[in-house]
Amino acid sequence: MTVPVLALQAVTKAYGEGDARVEVLHGLDLEVRQGEFVAIMGPSGSGKSTLLNILGCLDRPSGGAYLLDGEDVARFPDDKLSLIRNGRIGFIFQSYNLIAQLTVLENVKVPLLYRARGHGGGGAKRAEELLATVGLSHRLTHRPSQLSGGECQRVAIARALINDPILILADEPTGNLDSKTGAEVLALLEGLHREGRTIVLITHDAAVARRAGRTVRLQDGRLKEAS
Amino acid sequence: MRERFVQLFLLALRNLVGYPLRSFLTALGVVFGVGSVIAMMAIGAGMQETLLAEFGRLGLRNIIVNSKAPATKKKDAETNEWAFNRYGLTYRDERQVRETVPGLADVLPVHMRPELAWNGSKKVEATVYAVEPAHMAMFGLHVTRGRDLTEADSIALRRVCNVRASLFRELGVLEDPLGLDLLVGGEYYTVVGVLEDEPLLDFQRKALNVDSKSKEIYVPYQTVHERLGTHILKSRQGSREATDVQLSQLIVGVKSEDDVLLTVDMLQRVLSRNHEDEDYEVVVPLKELTLRRKTQEVLRYALVAIASISLLVGGIGIANIMLATVTERTREIGIRRALGARRRHIVAQFLTETTVISTLGGMLGVAVGYGMSHLLAAWTGWPAIIAPESILLAVSISMGTGVVSGLFPARRAALLDPIAALRHE
Repeated sequence: MTVPVLALQAVTKAYGEGDARVEVLHGLDLEVRQGEFVAIMGPSGSGKSTLLNILGCLDRPSGGAYLLDGEDVARFPDDKLSLIRNGRIGFIFQSYNLIAQLTVLENVKVPLLYRARGHGGGGAKRAEELLATVGLSHRLTHRPSQLSGGECQRVAIARALINDPILILADEPTGNLDSKTGAEVLALLEGLHREGRTIVLITHDAAVARRAGRTVRLQDGRLKEAS
Repeated sequence: MRERFVQLFLLALRNLVGYPLRSFLTALGVVFGVGSVIAMMAIGAGMQETLLAEFGRLGLRNIIVNSKAPATKKKDAETNEWAFNRYGLTYRDERQVRETVPGLADVLPVHMRPELAWNGSKKVEATVYAVEPAHMAMFGLHVTRGRDLTEADSIALRRVCNVRASLFRELGVLEDPLGLDLLVGGEYYTVVGVLEDEPLLDFQRKALNVDSKSKEIYVPYQTVHERLGTHILKSRQGSREATDVQLSQLIVGVKSEDDVLLTVDMLQRVLSRNHEDEDYEVVVPLKELTLRRKTQEVLRYALVAIASISLLVGGIGIANIMLATVTERTREIGIRRALGARRRHIVAQFLTETTVISTLGGMLGVAVGYGMSHLLAAWTGWPAIIAPESILLAVSISMGTGVVSGLFPARRAALLDPIAALRHE
């Protein structure tokens, strides 16, 4: 049996101290295996964002363990978490989060700048290839402000893949898009899934969640497997 | 690593070019700061140079001893108005200095007499300087026309002279003054050389005891010594002054600059034995120079310090704009952090930006400083000397300013919580 790509073990997250302490996540357990396409669903206020931040190594859990590729990253220092975000995780955000001053090509190359020494994977040429696969070869020198929302999200997908991550983390990737372009983006994600990539998608939209192979519900800080 | 640095540099340049007016205004503080530091250093160096050149003309190895009238007249001169007032350096002094003080290169006697110079019915007040030929070269008294006084003039007791050009103008001599026989104090002297019309500088005048109002006529020492002696009688409008000064001045040249101060001590010991009254003064150009140099050094540092304050203000300006930029670019910082930028990457990005802007500002400042110092030089008449080191120093200081002013904003940017930064609108 192979090591799961990610495993949460009794993960809790609380904010504040003493009387003001509010626990948002009450002990989550989750395993995602290599090549899975998992949707995490939940209404707003269920702790989705908090979970996303922990899965994305932007935040540390208050308790429990988070194994990413077999490593417990829950207690990693800031620099090591940065390296993991850079090399192991590909982010796709609801609001694309492209840097406005940079061109499309430069945006895709940003993660290359922060790579650890000795990281494999492609260099600058790979950025152009990836943009070609998302169908944006003709937009390399455009600024994000000159692109449509769907195009922006495709740039973000290319950027998420540049360092060849083991996990793609998509946070409401279609939230800002109309249904047609949303469908295109989802089709791209499905394509990645078929290539064997591991994807965790967070959404409140059941229609989007249905596209995933497996759906997990987050409600009141607890996870429930949906059949 | 190198590639990463180049990328950081390009990124910084890009952010600066993206907001040209803002970048320019931000850099302006450093531009003027560096400019004024360079200008002040140039002016300071120029002042120093002038001072050195001026004292160089007095000769740093020389000691000048001037005779001066003592505060109280000798008794016989006071009671008998026909007696000559005798004071100052004597031939004995000269001989004793020659014989007892070691390490001397020259001992040059000077005798001065105030005389009237005549051309027909026109007269001008002049001072006759009876000097050894070596004296002329020693104090940079070069003829522009004709010839210098020579050893032969001295030996042959020739009545020849070197004269300031302006004397002829005042005397109304329109023809070529060379070969002219000038009537000075009852004797005719043939003009053999015309001196350039450059007036001596104030302190040179003072050190050499040159009266600024009267023109100088240089004649061979021996000629005056033999023909006129040392008695000077001045009678004018009823008042009468009779003095007898054997040597108006003794110029003592020391072989080595290191021995000057020691020689001054010895000289004073020799002279004080012969002179009870304070009827001579010792001027040491080397001492004066050291003294003036010290005061000027202080002035120079003060100038540069004041200029540095403007550089400091420039640095604060950069820090201020950078802080605003950090707030403005919080979102970008969040994105970069999410994509794996470590804190030091963010620090490096902002530091590169401030360093690039201040270095460019510094380079522009060098040009401004160049212009400023030439403007100041034209204004004040001091030469401006821009040392290559000062340019290097200014540019590295401006680089340093960039780093220092970037530290705080960069740190603030790096310590932003990536989650909060991502949410920032």
